[in-house]
Amino acid sequence: MTQKELNIQKLLNEARERSLHAHTRRHFLKESAMGLGALAMGALLGSCGSRGAASPTVMFDPARPLLPKPPHFPGKAKSVIFLHMAGAPSQLELFDYKPALMKMDGQDCPQSFLEGRQFAFIRGIPKMLGPQANFAQRGQSGAWVSDRLPHFSTVADEVSFLKAMTTDQFNHAPAQLLVHTGGPRLGRPSIGSWVTYGLGTENQNLPGFVVLTSGGNNPDAGKSVWGSGFLPSVYQGVQCRSDGDPVLFIKDPDGVNRDLRKASIDAINNVNKQEFEEYQDPEILSRISQYEMAYRMQITAPDVMNINNEPEYIHEMYGTKPGKTCFANNVLLARKLVEKGVRFVQLFDWGWDSHGAGANEALNLGFINKCRSVDKAMTALLLDLKQRGLLEETLVVWAGEFGRTPMQERRDGAVNPFKGRDHHTEAFTVWLAGGGIKKGYTHGETDEIGYTTVSGKTDNHDLQATILHQLGFDHERFTYPFQGRPFRLTDVAGKVIHDIIA
Amino acid sequence: MKLMNKKKLVFLVAIVAIGFVVVRFTTSDRQVDFSTDVKPILNKKCITCHGGVRAKAGFSVLFREEALANTESGKPAIVPGDPDASELMRRISIDDPEERMPYKHEPLSKEEISIFRKWIKQGARWGDHWAYVPVKPQTVPDVESPWIINDVDKFIYQKLEEQEIEPSALADKATILRRVSLDLIGMYPSKETANKFLTSNDPKAYETLVDSLLASKHFGEKWTSMWLDLARYADSKGYEADHERQIWEYRDWLIKAFNDDKPYDVFLTEQLAGDLLPNPTDAQYVATAFSRNSMNNDEGGTDNEEFRVAAVIDRVNTTWEALMGTTFGCVQCHSHPYDPFKHDEYYSFLAYFNNTRDEDQPPEFPVYKLFNDTLKQQLNKLVSWVKENSSEEDAKEIKLFLQTSQPAVYGSSTDSIKNGFISGNNGPLALHHNGSFMLKKINMDGRNQVIFRYFVLQNGATISAHLDSPNGPVIGKWNVPKTKGTQLGTFEVKTDNGIHDIYFTYENRAFAHDEEQDRIYIEFVALTKDLPAKGTPAYAANKKIYWKLLETPQDNVPVMVENPKDFHRKTFVFEKGNRFTPGKEVQPGVPNSLAAAMPKDAPKNRLGMAMWLTDQKNPLVSRTAVNRFWEQLFGTGLVETLEDMGTQGTLPTHQELLDHYSWKMMNDYKWSMKRLIKEFVMSATYRQDSKVRDDLNEKDPNNKYYARAPRLRLHAEQVRDQALCVSGMLSDKMYGPGVMPWQPAGIWMNPYNSESWKTSEGEDQYRRSVYTYVKRTAGYPSAITFDGSQRIVCTPRRIRTNTPLQALVTLNDSVYVDLAGHFSSRMAKEGGNDVKSQIAKGYEMMLYKPIPQQKLDVFLNLYEKAVAEFKTSDSAAVAFTKTVGKTKETPEKAALKLVANAMLNIDEVITKN
Repeated sequence: MTQKELNIQKLLNEARERSLHAHTRRHFLKESAMGLGALAMGALLGSCGSRGAASPTVMFDPARPLLPKPPHFPGKAKSVIFLHMAGAPSQLELFDYKPALMKMDGQDCPQSFLEGRQFAFIRGIPKMLGPQANFAQRGQSGAWVSDRLPHFSTVADEVSFLKAMTTDQFNHAPAQLLVHTGGPRLGRPSIGSWVTYGLGTENQNLPGFVVLTSGGNNPDAGKSVWGSGFLPSVYQGVQCRSDGDPVLFIKDPDGVNRDLRKASIDAINNVNKQEFEEYQDPEILSRISQYEMAYRMQITAPDVMNINNEPEYIHEMYGTKPGKTCFANNVLLARKLVEKGVRFVQLFDWGWDSHGAGANEALNLGFINKCRSVDKAMTALLLDLKQRGLLEETLVVWAGEFGRTPMQERRDGAVNPFKGRDHHTEAFTVWLAGGGIKKGYTHGETDEIGYTTVSGKTDNHDLQATILHQLGFDHERFTYPFQGRPFRLTDVAGKVIHDIIA
Repeated sequence: MKLMNKKKLVFLVAIVAIGFVVVRFTTSDRQVDFSTDVKPILNKKCITCHGGVRAKAGFSVLFREEALANTESGKPAIVPGDPDASELMRRISIDDPEERMPYKHEPLSKEEISIFRKWIKQGARWGDHWAYVPVKPQTVPDVESPWIINDVDKFIYQKLEEQEIEPSALADKATILRRVSLDLIGMYPSKETANKFLTSNDPKAYETLVDSLLASKHFGEKWTSMWLDLARYADSKGYEADHERQIWEYRDWLIKAFNDDKPYDVFLTEQLAGDLLPNPTDAQYVATAFSRNSMNNDEGGTDNEEFRVAAVIDRVNTTWEALMGTTFGCVQCHSHPYDPFKHDEYYSFLAYFNNTRDEDQPPEFPVYKLFNDTLKQQLNKLVSWVKENSSEEDAKEIKLFLQTSQPAVYGSSTDSIKNGFISGNNGPLALHHNGSFMLKKINMDGRNQVIFRYFVLQNGATISAHLDSPNGPVIGKWNVPKTKGTQLGTFEVKTDNGIHDIYFTYENRAFAHDEEQDRIYIEFVALTKDLPAKGTPAYAANKKIYWKLLETPQDNVPVMVENPKDFHRKTFVFEKGNRFTPGKEVQPGVPNSLAAAMPKDAPKNRLGMAMWLTDQKNPLVSRTAVNRFWEQLFGTGLVETLEDMGTQGTLPTHQELLDHYSWKMMNDYKWSMKRLIKEFVMSATYRQDSKVRDDLNEKDPNNKYYARAPRLRLHAEQVRDQALCVSGMLSDKMYGPGVMPWQPAGIWMNPYNSESWKTSEGEDQYRRSVYTYVKRTAGYPSAITFDGSQRIVCTPRRIRTNTPLQALVTLNDSVYVDLAGHFSSRMAKEGGNDVKSQIAKGYEMMLYKPIPQQKLDVFLNLYEKAVAEFKTSDSAAVAFTKTVGKTKETPEKAALKLVANAMLNIDEVITKN
């Protein structure tokens, strides 16, 4: 750097500090004489003496919103990859083995299972439906995994299963919102936004929270499942695509090469520096650094988002299809992104809604294809992270938004043409791996037909509390003031599932 | 000289002020003010454990009666007049950490303890939070300075003097022209308006400019953008499929209302209760779409009642947050921990909204038909004829039915369904052969006509209507004609007086054994009065028109329609906010702490609620409005938390100023929004220069005393509209359905929805951003990146962020690259033959001032580099300029476009200075 550049850099830093100081006070201490800030900090510091030690506080600095920040306590996981099978895969065909249900196959559903219950589509009295897959116990742990997932069966010893997961939403959009935002309605921040708000981002040249979708549709709840809700919009997930611009607008216009882009950003920043000299507004300096960052992001993001340079054995391992949009490509991208310091990578794979109303939704047809399309890649993810020494600091979560009924669906009072199951809130399976989670462990149990839980019951708020805990956050103290009260991801519920923590 | 004098004066004032402060804090008989002295400490240090939800040791400081009551110890903690007998004083002063309060926290400061002591000594009087006290006229500070232009400045100057800060001089003409134009119309003014101002020496030139901007038709477009955030306006319904909703008539209503300067009280009344005004006009109905902007959930298998309730709650929260700056949402689950609102009161207020005809139906019933002029004439004629031949009441009823098909019972809301089910996306009721359903407690007085909106698959179906039981007397029978799609059908029933349950039984024997083909789908059923004078030729003629009006499709918009008496819905308190645990029944009403503003003659419905909102005694509505208009102009509200003026919000920086204009708005301005805005922009405070002086960095880094104008990143809409303006591409077209300017492929990917973004053609590509189609689950990407709101719920305040993704939008988004091309053509065309003068012209187009040499050099340098680069590649030049049909393009043309693209990215352009 030349002396002049150094001076400008120094000027930039000083002004930033000043503005940070001002903003901090503005938003959290001085201005809110009675409170928003005091409340938020109180909540973070543990009001009413329920928590002892002071901890670092999370604050929002509009000038540098993505600055890396420490969590409440050192977390085991540095990043999270959340694999969401949108549509809700059937636990009864994958993990929750129920031989008793086989015996009841074709019988009328007992009235006791129907009374006082509401289903999304089942009307009248449905028939029970036995497991549509063969099961075996896998690995040292003896976890039950069906033959729909031959690859994943080999890594069952790496994961903890939550077999008694429950939810209270039986429609896709609200249930997905509950999984990701802690509430069933639109308008609350997603877990990735919370994490980015709390931790900032390690790599300033990449977004802190990346979303990848496959399966031909966005998740049912739309972009709100990675929205920032009432948090500043800078914390929303950035949807990256393996087709078109990997990040929207990251590609220079046709005919503009890197040199020209560099020249134009230099010109813009030069003019902005002149502007700063005249107006002394620190916000101008912030804009200068955002343009610099944009330039760097233009180089970094397409590079990270390009899977073509990966070695052949990696492609083989994941089962990628370069040039296409598919789950396997996204999983490989997720690995690359966490490797580069992205905090939260959210994958959605649409098409798991096995009602049996059509062949694509049939447990004995479309579902099998869906399983094939994810099995190899999600297995590869665990093995690849492990061989790179990243699994211990990367928390991988695999989930749907609810489970599926042990009954065959009977839509609008008529038997569905294909084998399928309706939405079910009372029991489903989620698994977690890496990031300080126990290996080869199963938590929770359902009854003999998989209808409801009998022990180790957990819900979305527990799962969220656990994810936050692994990242170093106490979910009860991790709040943001909105509509007159401190809001948190887990609303007023959630218990860390200590049983699955190593 | 003058400046010197002023400085001296400031110094003197400061000495006096310091003296006063010293006196204030040393004199023991100083009157302690509850709201400003005590309440902040209570809220900050005590209320988390000793407030609404939690009252540890039986002690709560939320209300006075609670604070003075006996605690668990059997004694009160506060004894008015006797600090020494007050346990509170002992506990905050004691050293023992086990006893001292706040428990396990920093002890209170000496000052805080002394405030409590004095306050208890003086009687522990309670006071109301400033924002809940009715607005009173204010005395304008008696200050003098040549800087002062109007009353705004007097309030501002007074505080500046106290702080020993000098205000800034007025900004130059170029700066103020751009600033006030962006603020008032959200874009640049016409060339003539701009030139007139820039070249005029008339001291009134600025006022003339302001007046012309206020009178511009673009004024309404700009302020509508603001209001759409509050109204959570979108062109889609939200949730899973997020299908289209046609509600743009409401957006157009807003533009017209702002342009007409509809008084704010009327503006609110029409939006909240236009349908309840006497003989409401089409426009008044359209205005009520404000409340219908809540989301609708069509996802298969959802419970309509759940989402109807969610919509009602959304309306309550929006009304409070947008119009009264109060976060009422808390009270949904429990009494407000800090503000004077009780849990039950949330549901009393909700009761105002709980009796409308919308029930989360996929077709968004009730929708209001906007008849074209010909049909409108026929409607009016028909209605007058009914009035002459029957009664005014019947005429009204028939008019309402023709316009809204209300009141009707939706298929999914019918009772006692046998052999049927709610089909598809929670809409129509499907019945099999031998199916039946019931309409509960229908007032049958004079009702002799049944109208179905239905879809039947096969011929041969019949429906019978029975009185009071499925086997009760048959009062009508109908051979159901086969339909093509959903349509209306009707049959006659015997009228009977009084309230009855009406059962409908359905048969289609020919298909009895085919559970697919035997079905009828029923969207709604209405029991109405037939036209009068049956049997006469006039009846026949009018009946024909009646059906024509019912069946001709017209533009329509979801509106509010109140339930008639026999559809009345009771409202209950939801314990802990859960609708499955209803508590006691409540009647419509406003919180007791604000009930004084309820006019005596106000009806107990939404109209009464609107009367209460707009009553002079309502302390919140005018303050919230004034605060919001201020925020739009100055970047920060006088109360920074626009959404919360309660005790948890920030305190106003200039309460007297806020109250002065709140009073004036209601009285002197007769609620005129334009007069208020004019007063603000005419002030010296608004017109100041924005440079951050060194002394301000020290004394007022956040500019809360307004010693300079703020510099603010433009809103999402302004960023694009400005680029449209300077490129010369902006379309003047107003109103109509949302348009779709270019956006990248693959943004819309909703399941169960085949709608797609179809890039608009011709000038619709270049319409103002307020007309851009808003899809809730997939907003317009560049707008969202610039902090545009998603329109999910009411957004009372946009928080400005600064991210690299914003830079990528204005650098690379095809929309901006395209506009840069047009901008460079304009520069080349209007800037002479020399590239220097072309760039200078471009700068002037954006900023109304000559480009400083140093900046010109930077752009010239960029230009030279670009020319050299494009000389090496014809294809690059062609690609960048999007030249069609040629293999070559001049490097100069491409280079100028690149410069134009850079110019649209500089801070002074992205910023309102």
